[in-house]
Amino acid sequence: MSTYDLGIVGAGPAGMTAALTALALGLSVVVVDEQQRPGGQIFRQPPASRSPIPKGVAGYPWGQSLVADAEASSGRDGIRWCLGATALGVLEDDAGLELIVRQAARTERVGVRRLLVATGAMDLPVAFPGWTLPGVVTAGGMQTMLKAQQVLMARNVVLTGGHPLLLLVAGLILDAGGDIAEIALPRSRASLRDLPRAVGALPGHLGVLANAAATAAKLARSRVPVRRGAIVTAARGDGRVEEVDVAALRADNTIDPEQAPRTVPADGVVLGYGFQPATDLARQAGCGLRWDSPAGGWVIAHDDDLRTTVPNIFVAGEPAGVAGADQARAEGRLAALMVAASVRGDDGVADNDVESARRDVRRARRFASVVQRLFEPPRETLTDLARGDTTVCRCEAVTRDDVEVAIEANPFLSSTNALKLECRTGMGPCQGRYCELTTAGLLARGRDMSMEQVGPLNAQFPIRPATVGEIGRMAEPE
Amino acid sequence: MPDSSRVARPGGDRFEIAVDGQPAAAYDGDTLAAAMVAAGITRFHSGVDDSPRMVLCNMGTCFECTVTVDEVPLQRACLIAARPGMVVTTESAR
Repeated sequence: MSTYDLGIVGAGPAGMTAALTALALGLSVVVVDEQQRPGGQIFRQPPASRSPIPKGVAGYPWGQSLVADAEASSGRDGIRWCLGATALGVLEDDAGLELIVRQAARTERVGVRRLLVATGAMDLPVAFPGWTLPGVVTAGGMQTMLKAQQVLMARNVVLTGGHPLLLLVAGLILDAGGDIAEIALPRSRASLRDLPRAVGALPGHLGVLANAAATAAKLARSRVPVRRGAIVTAARGDGRVEEVDVAALRADNTIDPEQAPRTVPADGVVLGYGFQPATDLARQAGCGLRWDSPAGGWVIAHDDDLRTTVPNIFVAGEPAGVAGADQARAEGRLAALMVAASVRGDDGVADNDVESARRDVRRARRFASVVQRLFEPPRETLTDLARGDTTVCRCEAVTRDDVEVAIEANPFLSSTNALKLECRTGMGPCQGRYCELTTAGLLARGRDMSMEQVGPLNAQFPIRPATVGEIGRMAEPE
Repeated sequence: MPDSSRVARPGGDRFEIAVDGQPAAAYDGDTLAAAMVAAGITRFHSGVDDSPRMVLCNMGTCFECTVTVDEVPLQRACLIAARPGMVVTTESAR
């Protein structure tokens, strides 16, 4: 079994930056990512055989050169890129940490002295009637299918959610020749009109907002109906989305029961409510979590130097709190310096480098916290979009009624984990990533408890479905 | 209509895959999910409630695009490249 100084899971801005920083410091590095090329979701690359996406994509001028540097490093000694590969989990024994990596049909144990969790984020899932219908797609899903594959998953869509990414996706859809039936925006602390001002207040930062502001102008020119204080409450259709309900929201972002929703013909719904950190690998490794709603929900607890609560495991980027690519890049560098210092002793890393990295993280964080507060999703309203017969756990087809019956029938049931055992929500292949917040929200409300009290779901090895054969072969010594 | 969801003419070579025994066009550089969407397929698998499911996240987290590929079940179509002669079976409820 080969052993590396640093194992990194996730090849987005944080993972790529950490890998190149650690490599430059002379550490041996292995990077694992499920995509075929580095970049992560934000800089998701088309296949090598197709033309590259333009420089400065998503408003981050450093993005393409970081991806290019990452790809150029792949032949060098001291770094191994395991792409198209899945980290099934992390195990620990007397010898240290082991990453279990599956690449195609081969499952491998990879020794790592330190582990960096740079697993990014996923679109915030929101359960509503009809959300399992084909044609319902996340903003990230619509965007990556367009950017990396140039395929439009629906021709005439309703977009809903309050995150600026939604507007970027709207612009991509129009550019691709798709139609937008309507954009339904719940109230956020920032309105579309605030976006240009927010950008002006934050010089040198966040191209996402700048692009969103430009897109808002494009939408106005295209006469796309943009409804503020509105939300998609249902999708219906035979075999795929055919019509969508849009309801008005009151000033406090709750649905007005007096007002019947309007029905809009559409073949797709794009959900852009924001992001939640991808924390399953860290959970499985035993890292502590912290509830931070503006930062995306459950984030991996960490200190100022990005150490998690488990020795030798560090975190960078969105799993430490969804804060965007600038902060992910800054944290990736700091984490790599901290890893180098911990592997080699403090003498191995220049104090100046550490100080400048800490400064970059602090600067990025100040900005990110503003954005987080502006675009925090209205969680209570989102939990209530699910009706009694709405599927909340897509994998096991568990409805909101099923969950609430389990809560009522078991008065001493008070944790999300216990609820999972009681009604199977979260037991399918997605491992609870898509139902956790809905079911935890229902339990917290039913018991008058906080999210901290009901807690997150545990994650078990393997964190992605694997066959018994794959696990068995992995256990054999090489 | 198949292929109408493609925004641009794909640069790569055209080839065929089989989905539930029917030929479908794919191009070098397509993920399997992209090729299936472009072929007009909307039921990638069926949920345990037998409802049709299709790509939701396109990044490997939701498992709604899972299909059987060359007899290997539960493959995420969004993460794997389409290859000539691939035999794809849409999965049904467990």
